[in-house]
Amino acid sequence: MSTALYELEGVRFTYLGKFPALTDINLTVEKGQRVAVIGANGSGKSTLLNILDGLIFPDSGVVRFCGDVLEETSFREERSNRLFRSRVGLVFQNPDIQLFCPTVKDEILFGPLTLGLDTAAVAAAFDEITAIFGIKGLADRMPHQLSIGEKRKVAMAAVLVSSPDVLLLDEPTAGLDPRTTRDLIGLLNRYHAGGKTIITATHDMHVVEEIADVVHVFSRDKTIIRSGRPDDILADTKFLEEHNLIHIHAHSHDGTTHAHPHQHVHHDHLHKNP
Amino acid sequence: MKYNKFIESSLRGTLSFLRASVFSDGYALEKGFLQSIDPRINLLTVIIFLVTALFTRNMVVVLCLYGVCLALASLSRINLGFFLKRTWIFIPLFSLFIAIPALFNIITPGDELAGFTIGGVSLAITRQGLSGAALFVARVITSVSFVVLLSLTTRHFALLKVLRVFRIPKVFVMVLGISYRYIYLFIEIIENTYLAIKSRAGGEIPRKQGRHIVAGNIASLWLRSYRMNEAVYGAMVARGYDGEPVLANDFKTKTRDWVWLSLVLVAVLVLFYFSAQGRFGSI
Repeated sequence: MSTALYELEGVRFTYLGKFPALTDINLTVEKGQRVAVIGANGSGKSTLLNILDGLIFPDSGVVRFCGDVLEETSFREERSNRLFRSRVGLVFQNPDIQLFCPTVKDEILFGPLTLGLDTAAVAAAFDEITAIFGIKGLADRMPHQLSIGEKRKVAMAAVLVSSPDVLLLDEPTAGLDPRTTRDLIGLLNRYHAGGKTIITATHDMHVVEEIADVVHVFSRDKTIIRSGRPDDILADTKFLEEHNLIHIHAHSHDGTTHAHPHQHVHHDHLHKNP
Repeated sequence: MKYNKFIESSLRGTLSFLRASVFSDGYALEKGFLQSIDPRINLLTVIIFLVTALFTRNMVVVLCLYGVCLALASLSRINLGFFLKRTWIFIPLFSLFIAIPALFNIITPGDELAGFTIGGVSLAITRQGLSGAALFVARVITSVSFVVLLSLTTRHFALLKVLRVFRIPKVFVMVLGISYRYIYLFIEIIENTYLAIKSRAGGEIPRKQGRHIVAGNIASLWLRSYRMNEAVYGAMVARGYDGEPVLANDFKTKTRDWVWLSLVLVAVLVLFYFSAQGRFGSI
């Protein structure tokens, strides 16, 4: 029996019928997998996430979710719409788009209440998620008063509060300071340990190895040019450089300037003596 | 060359006014009297005061209500100077221009108090005209003051939720909330765009060029808001929105809320009673 969560065959999408955003995408995502979609700006990562979330639909090709074809008509029936929305959550790249409610509390409660979850369960989930993200104190604040890191946490909490089986993340670490990035990675991995599927679109090479078991690389032609294990792909610096995923970094040693491809894949560790 | 200080000062003035008046919730966070009352009860009592001001024909009753409003503002830790400035800005707009013609005998005939001639037309201020105009202005002052008091002492989101309690359609409340939220975002965009222009163009921009930049930015902002509209809708759909938003209702009334509501009702009834008995005279 297939464990495929998503199956995409020959998916093509254009904006306004003439600007290609995705070309011939063939992709399978297994249940419980951690997938990273990497690529330079404008390579189609966000469009792919919107398709996986059933917000837009391909011009041609097929998208299947748990074996069922995802098309516009699938969302017209209230029950199936709610079922899909409760199973799949998308955290948008721009938190200002996602945070549309007057307060943080309203924002976090919007999804579960709209999906018709039990009020007592929603209240318990609210307490739990705000404690996890350390945002209890922000409950009555207005989203526009928050810092970018706080906004991102609230956006994430607003999706995770419904505990979706599939989490789609669009550039989750953009604009975050190192400590918040680290907290976020820890949280995602804990979430994954609960059997959830996580699909992350990013061009932050620092985090890919920690958040993914499988990596799909998008090219400038808006198609998947390579798929594989993160360590294999991240070790191929020539390939990453060709696809604008690492840059040439120049610096000085003892008065001599030299340049090399720059990435932070392998980290040095400081071990404290016991 | 003429420079566009006008554009700069208008932009700054408008944005700072919006920030200070629409988006500031400093007073709503104070620990004052009205802030401690359930927002639903607050709205209900303000409606009671407004209806009383609207239906009474007695000037003393209206002035009593205005006094109550100022006392409440003070009890709610609102700076009275700020409060008076805030309310009196609107008075000429809403009332004086309408009330002035009512002073004269051509609109309100009656006992003449003072007469004069303008361009061969003889006009007179009448006693009935004067008392009618004064009552009208007093009603407007009192009503505007109560509404401003409510908006200053209640947080914006609570007011929105209160609208839901009073059965205003959810979609309308949701649209109001979203508009409020995104007007702020667009203010930020305008400010940042203006700073970006200033950083590239230097301190002063010639008027003609300034007008072109402003026109271009209005168009660009419209396009941005249109795109954002689609994106926000997508974000709502992604979390299950299908045309009927669900908002949390977590208001809780306490004994003091009911005591306050009862007091207001009794006070208003007493005012009406004394007014009907003619205890406040005929003005």
